[in-house]
Amino acid sequence: MTSSSSGLTFKLHPLVIVNISDHHTRVRSQSQPPVANGGDATSSSSSSNSLAPRVFGCVIGVQRGRTVEIFNSFELLYDSSSHSLDRSFLEKKQELYKKVFPNFYILGWYSTGADAEDSDMQIHKALMDINESPVYVLLNTVINHAQKDLPVTIFESEMHVIDGIPQLRFVRSSYTIETVEAERISVDHVAHLKPSDGGSAATQLAAHLTGIHSAIKMLNSRIRVLHHYLNAMQKGEIPCENSLLRQVSSLLRRLPAIESEKFQDDFLMEYNDTLLISYLAMFTDCSSTMNDVVDKINIAYERHTRRGGRTTAFI
Amino acid sequence: MDPYSFSSSAAMAQQTWELENNIVTMETPQSSESDAIFYYDESAQTKFQQDKPWQNDPHYFKRVKISALALLKMVVHARSGGTIEVMGLMQGKTDGDAIIVMDAFALPVEGTETRVNAQADAYEYMVEYSQTNKQAGRLENVVGWYHSHPGYGCWLSGIDVSTQMLNQQYQEPFLAVVIDPTRTVSAGKVEIGAFRTYPEGYKPSDEPVSEYQTIPLNKIEDFGVHCKQYYSLDVTYFKSSLDCHLLDLLWNKYWVNTLSSSPLLGNGDYVAGQISDLAEKLEQAEGQLSHSRFGPLITPTQRKKEEESQLAKITRDSAKITVEQVHGLMSQVIKDILFNSVRPSHKSQPESSGPEPMVQS
Repeated sequence: MTSSSSGLTFKLHPLVIVNISDHHTRVRSQSQPPVANGGDATSSSSSSNSLAPRVFGCVIGVQRGRTVEIFNSFELLYDSSSHSLDRSFLEKKQELYKKVFPNFYILGWYSTGADAEDSDMQIHKALMDINESPVYVLLNTVINHAQKDLPVTIFESEMHVIDGIPQLRFVRSSYTIETVEAERISVDHVAHLKPSDGGSAATQLAAHLTGIHSAIKMLNSRIRVLHHYLNAMQKGEIPCENSLLRQVSSLLRRLPAIESEKFQDDFLMEYNDTLLISYLAMFTDCSSTMNDVVDKINIAYERHTRRGGRTTAFI
Repeated sequence: MDPYSFSSSAAMAQQTWELENNIVTMETPQSSESDAIFYYDESAQTKFQQDKPWQNDPHYFKRVKISALALLKMVVHARSGGTIEVMGLMQGKTDGDAIIVMDAFALPVEGTETRVNAQADAYEYMVEYSQTNKQAGRLENVVGWYHSHPGYGCWLSGIDVSTQMLNQQYQEPFLAVVIDPTRTVSAGKVEIGAFRTYPEGYKPSDEPVSEYQTIPLNKIEDFGVHCKQYYSLDVTYFKSSLDCHLLDLLWNKYWVNTLSSSPLLGNGDYVAGQISDLAEKLEQAEGQLSHSRFGPLITPTQRKKEEESQLAKITRDSAKITVEQVHGLMSQVIKDILFNSVRPSHKSQPESSGPEPMVQS
C-alpha cells in the first residue's frame, strides 16, 4: 500500500476510537457468553479474538477545505451474503444523527481487522454516491503489547492503473488526533482513573502537575531520540539524510514560539490578574478569620450585657 | 539513553502517586473477565424487571457504573451546547444495587434556563433510535436520562425533580445524571452527579453527606428547596480491555494536547461570572453580619453559626476559584519557559520572561 497523495489532512477524535472499540467489545461478548468460573477465561479470550466478527459502521464529521475532521461514528448493519451495508438502515440512522448534530456529514465508514481486504472495496464503492471520496477507518483489535503506535489506520481510495486497467486501490493516509478540552479531560479521567472527589488542594495540584509532567517527559524523550540520531549522523554512523536535517533545522528555528511585545504585555496582564484573584481570596480568608476572632472576643468579654451569671450561658 | 525508559519511569511515578493517594483501581482491566460487563443477559434483565426490588426500598440503588464511551459522549455533547442546557438518554442495565450505563445518545431538544422537557418529536426520536440500535446490536434498554447544567453545578432543579419522580413512577429503573461541562473544563476534572429521587413524602433516615459545591446566587433557592428530595449515587467508571489498550496508546499522540491546553483562555466568562456571584454572596453575608453585631443577646448562637459558615463557604469558594486560576497560569508559565526562553544570551531586560524572577531559564 503506497501512501496517499491526495493532500488531505485527517483529524481523528478519540470518541471515534472509543466508539469502534466499544462496538467490537459488545459484539464479541454477546457472541461469547462469559465463562461462569474464571478458569479458562484467558484461553477463551485468545481464541475469541481470532474468531471475533468484524463490525461495521459509519463515520461522520466535517470537511473544511483540505482538512477532514472525524468527530463521531455509529454502527451499521452488514449483509455478509451480498457484501454490502444495509442502505435503508444507514439512511435512517443518518436522519437521526442529523437532527442532533446538523453540521456533521457522512465522511466514510469503519471496520475492524488487521488489514484492508478486497471485499472492503465493494463497500467503499457503494458509499461513493454519498461522499465522492469516502475514508475507511480500520481498527486492529488484536491487543499487541509490544506495539507502541495506535492500531488505527485511515485509508483513502485512489485510482491506479494496474496492467492497463484503472482500478481503485486503498492507500494509507496519515492523521493526527484532534480534541476539544472537554474530551481531553474525560479521556484523561477514564484513562488514568484520577481521584474523582475534590481531595485537598495538594492532591489537586499534584494531579495537575503530574499530567503536565508526563507530557513534558514525552517531549523530552522524543527530543532525545532526535538528539541521539543527529549525533550518530555527525559521527558518520548513519548516512546523512538532508530532508531530515532540513526538518530539524526548521523546527529549531521555530523557537522561541512567540517573542513580540504584545505577547509579553498580555502574558503579564494574565499573570497579574491571577495574582489579583489570589490576593482577593487571601483577603476574604483573612476577613473571615478576623470575623471569627472578633465574634469570640465579643462573646468572651461581654461587659454591658451581664445579668448575673448569664454570661456563662454563652460560653 | 534508551528513550523508552523515560515512559516507564513515568509509569513508576504514576504508580507511586497512586499508592500515596490510596487510589484503588475499581476493576482489573487486564483480565478479560471484566469485559463480561458488556454481555447483555436478556433473561436476567427481564427477571429483575419483574421482581422490582426497588419498590420496597427507595434507597435501593446505591452505585452507578458508567462506561468510558458513555462518559465521553455525554461530556462532548454537554460541552457542544455551550451555555444552553442539553439533554439525552442513557442506555444500560442493572446489576444488583448498581445501575450500569453502557451508552448514551443525545436528544434534539432545546432547553431554556431551568426548563428542559422532552417534546413529542423527542419521544419519536427516542423510539426510532432505540429500534435502530437494537438492530445494530445494542440490546440494552433506556435506563436513565442526562442533562447539563453549564456553569452552575451538578444538582437537580425543581423541574428536574418532578420529571425524575414521574420517571421513577412509570419507567423504573431510571436514573438522572447531571453534567457541568463548564466546571469540567475549568477545574480539569469531570463534574458529574447521579441522582435518584425519593418518593413523595418519604423522609430519609439519615442525612447523607454530599460533597460541597458552590451554587450561584440566583439558583440557590431552587437548590435549597429541593435538595432533600433526592440522593446522589456513587459514580465509578469502567472500560474494556481493548479501551484500556487503546487509551494507553492514545497517550503517545495525546501528550501534545495536554501540554498545549490553555484552560485560562476558554473560561474567562465563567470565572468572571463566578467572581461577581461571590461578590453578591459576600454582600449578603455582610448585611446579615452587621445585624448580629448589635444584638448578641437577641440572636441565638445558632444563627451566629450559620453566618460563620456562610462566610466560611464564601472563603472556600474563593479558594477554589483561585486554585483553578493558578493551575491555569502554571501551565502558561511552564509553556513559556519551555518554548520561549531559548536565547538567554541576548536579553534586553535583566529578567528573561519577566514574571518568573526565581526560576533559572
